[in-house]
Amino acid sequence: MEYVYSVLVMIGIYTIMASSFNLIIGFGGLISIAHPIFFALSAYASALVNLHWGVPIPLAILLGTLFAAAMSVMLSLPSLRISGDYLLIASMGFQLGFVEVIKNVDFAGGAGGLTGIASIYSGPSRSPAFVVTTLTIAATVVSVVHWLTHGEYGRAIRAMRDDEECFASLGRNPMAIKITIFAVGSALAGLAGALYAHYFQFLSPEQFGITQSALILTMVVVGGMGSTWGPVVGALLLTALPQAITFLNLPPSVMAPLQGMLYTGLVLLFLFVRPAGLVAKRLGQ
Amino acid sequence: MLEFRAVSARYGKLAALIEVSLSVPDGARVAIFGHNGAGKTTLLKCGVGAMPGIDGEVSCNGTRIVPGAVYRNTRLGIGFVPQGHNVFKNLGVERNLGIAGLLHDKRFVERVYELFPMLAERRAQLAGSLSGGQQQMLALGMALMTQPRILLLDEPATGLAPVIVENVLASLLRINETMKTAIVIVEQNVKATLPVVERALILKAGRLVWDGSSAELARKEDLWTWF
Repeated sequence: MEYVYSVLVMIGIYTIMASSFNLIIGFGGLISIAHPIFFALSAYASALVNLHWGVPIPLAILLGTLFAAAMSVMLSLPSLRISGDYLLIASMGFQLGFVEVIKNVDFAGGAGGLTGIASIYSGPSRSPAFVVTTLTIAATVVSVVHWLTHGEYGRAIRAMRDDEECFASLGRNPMAIKITIFAVGSALAGLAGALYAHYFQFLSPEQFGITQSALILTMVVVGGMGSTWGPVVGALLLTALPQAITFLNLPPSVMAPLQGMLYTGLVLLFLFVRPAGLVAKRLGQ
Repeated sequence: MLEFRAVSARYGKLAALIEVSLSVPDGARVAIFGHNGAGKTTLLKCGVGAMPGIDGEVSCNGTRIVPGAVYRNTRLGIGFVPQGHNVFKNLGVERNLGIAGLLHDKRFVERVYELFPMLAERRAQLAGSLSGGQQQMLALGMALMTQPRILLLDEPATGLAPVIVENVLASLLRINETMKTAIVIVEQNVKATLPVVERALILKAGRLVWDGSSAELARKEDLWTWF
């Protein structure tokens, strides 16, 4: 049963990740691979302020989330000022660099990982409570992303993507919208990270590598970029699929490359066969 | 009043504008002519600050136009209609106007519909499915939603049928008369544009080589030697 709970929590966490990444890449058109690092920065920040300063966990999660948003501005502000293409390159450096930083910071546990993180809930109903919390937050995040991208603000985002020059000549600031989208998306990734930290109670810098970026991108592409439900479907499918493979009882030396091939294979397959993803986005107003 | 003081601009090593000075008073109608690469579009871009790193100064009613911050300059009352891509093709007509007017009075959309009844009939239609002339009207309407005091237009008649060209130019005249908006228009079609404006400028290789009344220019027999 514990296994089922942990898979459900992971589905919730990946739904938040995929949905918020979709906001950045699918709706905002901002190409970045640094999504897992904001997850990591917030996870570590939340765990550490709780561990070292005794900040209550809900407040620690909030601080972690805000920290992720603030760090995202550090990446987006300088790179977007030059051009959108630089964001991709800068995000790679940001992702790889911060993983190395975390590995070498002793009070964050270093390369061995951070243990002894406090849990939000305790007692026998800990896991079901976590499932309910995570799935509720995931549903809220999906609604927030939907609301952001479908109202008046959503139309502004689409207009900005369609034609930046025209958008600016109407007195609207494209940079402000891009940085906001990136900060909101990164904050939501941070929220997922903080939840993760206080559920699994263990963080290792190795978890937040490029493979994670690939996984989340796969979820968004397979599910459907720029649609509300696409990332949800993608997260569900790609969290369940690797779990299903584990039942094949393959040795780890086969498992890891197999998962990697699965992700890349799926992205290629979908880009060729069904570029709009499983849930094709609705056109129109 | 839009003022250019000794403005020079370049693309890399190539000088696109060389020490151009001119001023456009409120309510004026000015056309900018010149052959390809003479610097017409560059001059308009300097007017809204879309050209980074220029020499000289551009100001609107005494406020300096900061190069590189188009959206802020637009809020000073400068409407800019770029060439070609100037509507959001994936959004409907009314949504397009809405985005243009988000910082301004939304009720103004009715004024725009009065000016362009064609747009009112097509409120829900996607901008991308409008004809070239209709898109140009929509682009004009969107620029008007920001309630500019001066309107900069980059070749609004390019690629349009002669009848539609007349239509677009006539609506510019109407905007100028009813709203007292100053019009600065860059056009290749000198013949169609001259009757609409009261003053004409000619650029040649980045320099301002003629600045005078349009009537005078129309009378000149050696008109074409300027190009």
